[in-house]
Amino acid sequence: MLKILVPVDGSKNCLGAVELLIRQNTLYKESPEIHLLNVQHPFPGTVRGVREEAEKFHREEGVKALVAARKLLDDAGMKYQHHISVGEAAETIIQYVREKKLDEVVMCTRGMGAVANMLMGSVANKVLHLADVPVVLVK
Amino acid sequence: MIEYLSNPVFWIGLGQIIIVNIVLSGDNAVVIALAARSLPPHQQKQAIIWGSVAAIVMRVILTILAVEMLKMPYLKLVGAVLLFWIAVQLLVPGEDGEDGIKSGGNLWTAIRTILIADLVMSLDNVIGVAAAAKGDNVLLMLGLAISIPLIIFGSTIILKLMDRYPMIITGGAALLGWVAGEMLITDPILVDWIAANMSWMHIHVPLAPLVSEISWAQILGAALVIVAGKVMVARAGHAEEKVVDLAADEQRSK
Repeated sequence: MLKILVPVDGSKNCLGAVELLIRQNTLYKESPEIHLLNVQHPFPGTVRGVREEAEKFHREEGVKALVAARKLLDDAGMKYQHHISVGEAAETIIQYVREKKLDEVVMCTRGMGAVANMLMGSVANKVLHLADVPVVLVK
Repeated sequence: MIEYLSNPVFWIGLGQIIIVNIVLSGDNAVVIALAARSLPPHQQKQAIIWGSVAAIVMRVILTILAVEMLKMPYLKLVGAVLLFWIAVQLLVPGEDGEDGIKSGGNLWTAIRTILIADLVMSLDNVIGVAAAAKGDNVLLMLGLAISIPLIIFGSTIILKLMDRYPMIITGGAALLGWVAGEMLITDPILVDWIAANMSWMHIHVPLAPLVSEISWAQILGAALVIVAGKVMVARAGHAEEKVVDLAADEQRSK
């Protein structure tokens, strides 16, 4: 069974990857194991003394970011696992792929940080560069 | 007064101070906002108010101290090194092993967390502002004044801003490196030596009346911060063995 990582950042632009998987679900011999992942950007190192609250904050933001993607999958009746992590987006995505021995990444090229990513979708770029597995970019 | 305000150097200095303030008030604001979140709603406001008051008082005191101390030889050097270190710290994610306040703690625990954090984190703001003010007391006082509403009203906004646009932090850290570089070479001990032996340090830039001169120290300062930040992040990244999953305890496949 194919294990697919779907990074999601919570923006509307970024549901294309999930929509693709829903559309193409019937093409697979066996439904792939889908892992949704939202990566939260950590606070700068000068923030101290509020670790537990920071974690709570990140978890809540992560839950918010995953809502739309989860709804799409739930409505389509598809199974998935969801994860929330903290760190630099591309590195964390790669880390998940390696740790959980996933086979493929399906991700959007631009998300929330469309302006901040400066036209090129820097997270997607970096994942493309670092990944050992196939990466499907969905516009 | 008009001459003062029409001098572009003043506005650049002010711009630098505003950015330094936003970036370095950010950590205070984050701690205050997060510490307050653990409290029941009616106490949240109190925690934010008292935390902000404490931060402001500490800044006023530290700023006055800083102004006097930066006149002394070697202290600009020390300040520059400290500022550089702070800038790099901004780029490295926080420590995992820290013990924070516990959820549902009372008002006093929250205020205590804020006070301790305030002391440490106001220091970085003061050094940054003092460095960016470059001996201009008007700028210094302005910088101080600006940081106050930022802390009071800004905490939740800054929290969201830094979350959505992490580039602000990178840019801010680079600016700190820039300012640290400048402070380093204006230390009374070093000024003459550099003028004599490293005259290439100062670059004449045909951007008058905006700036006529920048220095390699500034450029290198900014660049070094970015590089050091990336190196440390990469090192920390490779040390991480386990994935972090904040949703792990609610896993279910339907």
